[in-house]
Amino acid sequence: MRRRLPVAVAAVVVAALVLPAAASAHGLVGKQDLPIPRWLFAWGAAMVLVLSFVALATLWPRPRMQELRERVVWAGIPRVLEVLCGAVGVAVFGIVVYAGLAGSQSPLENLAPTFVYVVFWVAVPFASLLLGDVFRAFNPWRAVARAVAWAAGRVMPAGALPEPLAYPVRLGRWPAAAGILVFAWVELVSVNRDDPSLLAILALAYAAVQLVGMSLYGIDPWLRNADPFGVFFGLLARVAPLRWRDRSLVVRRPLSGLPSLDPRAGTVALVCVAIGTTTFDGFSMGTLWNDVAPDLQQWFIDVGLSAQDALQLAFTIGLVGCVLAVYGLYRLGIAGMRTVGEGHDARELAGLFAHTLVPIAFAYLVAHYFSLLGYQGQALAYLVSDPLGDGSNLFGTAAATIDYGWISATGVWYVQVGALVVGHVAGLALAHDRALAVYRDPQAATRSQYWMLTVMVGFTSLGLWLLSASAQ
Amino acid sequence: MTELPIAHIGHWWTSLLYLAPVLLVVVWLAVQSWRQRRQDRTDR
Repeated sequence: MRRRLPVAVAAVVVAALVLPAAASAHGLVGKQDLPIPRWLFAWGAAMVLVLSFVALATLWPRPRMQELRERVVWAGIPRVLEVLCGAVGVAVFGIVVYAGLAGSQSPLENLAPTFVYVVFWVAVPFASLLLGDVFRAFNPWRAVARAVAWAAGRVMPAGALPEPLAYPVRLGRWPAAAGILVFAWVELVSVNRDDPSLLAILALAYAAVQLVGMSLYGIDPWLRNADPFGVFFGLLARVAPLRWRDRSLVVRRPLSGLPSLDPRAGTVALVCVAIGTTTFDGFSMGTLWNDVAPDLQQWFIDVGLSAQDALQLAFTIGLVGCVLAVYGLYRLGIAGMRTVGEGHDARELAGLFAHTLVPIAFAYLVAHYFSLLGYQGQALAYLVSDPLGDGSNLFGTAAATIDYGWISATGVWYVQVGALVVGHVAGLALAHDRALAVYRDPQAATRSQYWMLTVMVGFTSLGLWLLSASAQ
Repeated sequence: MTELPIAHIGHWWTSLLYLAPVLLVVVWLAVQSWRQRRQDRTDR
């Protein structure tokens, strides 16, 4: 029996290699020049995860990451720097909104779409991975709220201002999860996603909601829970080796900020929304979705919707379906862990292991948006010189072009695969460490992680399949 | 109704290969669970 299994696996591999490659008639054929079929990368990634799991089980017998160890490297950061960063954030926000409203309504000529979808949504998380929560320093609505609070404190007598309301504990991070889902809907579903003026109006509406929320519940409680981008970028920044704490900069081991994540309400939802929406971004470019979506759209047209509304509704179903599928996969792993015993209930375990999904969210983000940042990010060079698309040349870079040759499609693929593998191994290590802290019996801890391994292999294979499908 | 894309098998059959590692781990998990239950019964 033990000899038959490797023989069977080898037979499947050989059979798969001699079968013809998948036809790609429905899309542009990728220019990747890979030495092995793409699906074999998924097998390799799964093997890396299994080997990592074995190494963790044998070489990592005690929890090591549950206590946060940090070292201050820069104490007493000048307050003026904080004010300056906030002012820069407000100025950039103003420029982007103005460009969206007053500039050319061509998405490629206007600064707003590229800034929102490439700089804000992709470059800020990439920067957070290395530098910590940089968005907090530049957060424009935080800067405005703090300036207003500072001015009010100087003008009004002490105690004249009402105390903020207590932020509802049950609400937790749910507003953040809902906000990221709405943003993803605009980006991936709305037919007007690139409309500069619409983006500017939505940015203004978003800022207004944040200012009202902060005035009601206080600046920090609101930012910690309900500012979708602030909460999400802050979550991703926990991976970073740097942390901006009060007015000091501290260093720590990468990932070590994640185990201290408090699993308040909505945390799992937020991470699943992040992974699920990125999943849909890849899925919606694949042949499977493009076979199904027209039929779904037609069904809604038959019911009485316009073609545009029907298309948006079909894509909304796909988007929500992907988020639910990611949540379902995670809960499946949690349900399996529960069978190991020691009396932990599913809700408790779901919260305790929520932080292990953050590196996966990061991995999906890098895998899906690296090429967007690498190519479309270069457009910023000419867009800053001509933000309105009216022919101006403020910095002399308006004639700059995008260099598509700086990295090949093959290079992009290797970055994507590398990000997925590293992200999932990181998630596995975090889960193993947490299991050692949660389960009294080390053997039970290892058994519980069989399930997490299955979840991680599932996410890795899904991620590579999505990349492969969208590359065809 | 969406037609079953059997005729277009060349478009999607490699997708199944992405599922294989997951299935292998699930089978391994099932075997481990079965062995654990058997071990528990023996210990009792």
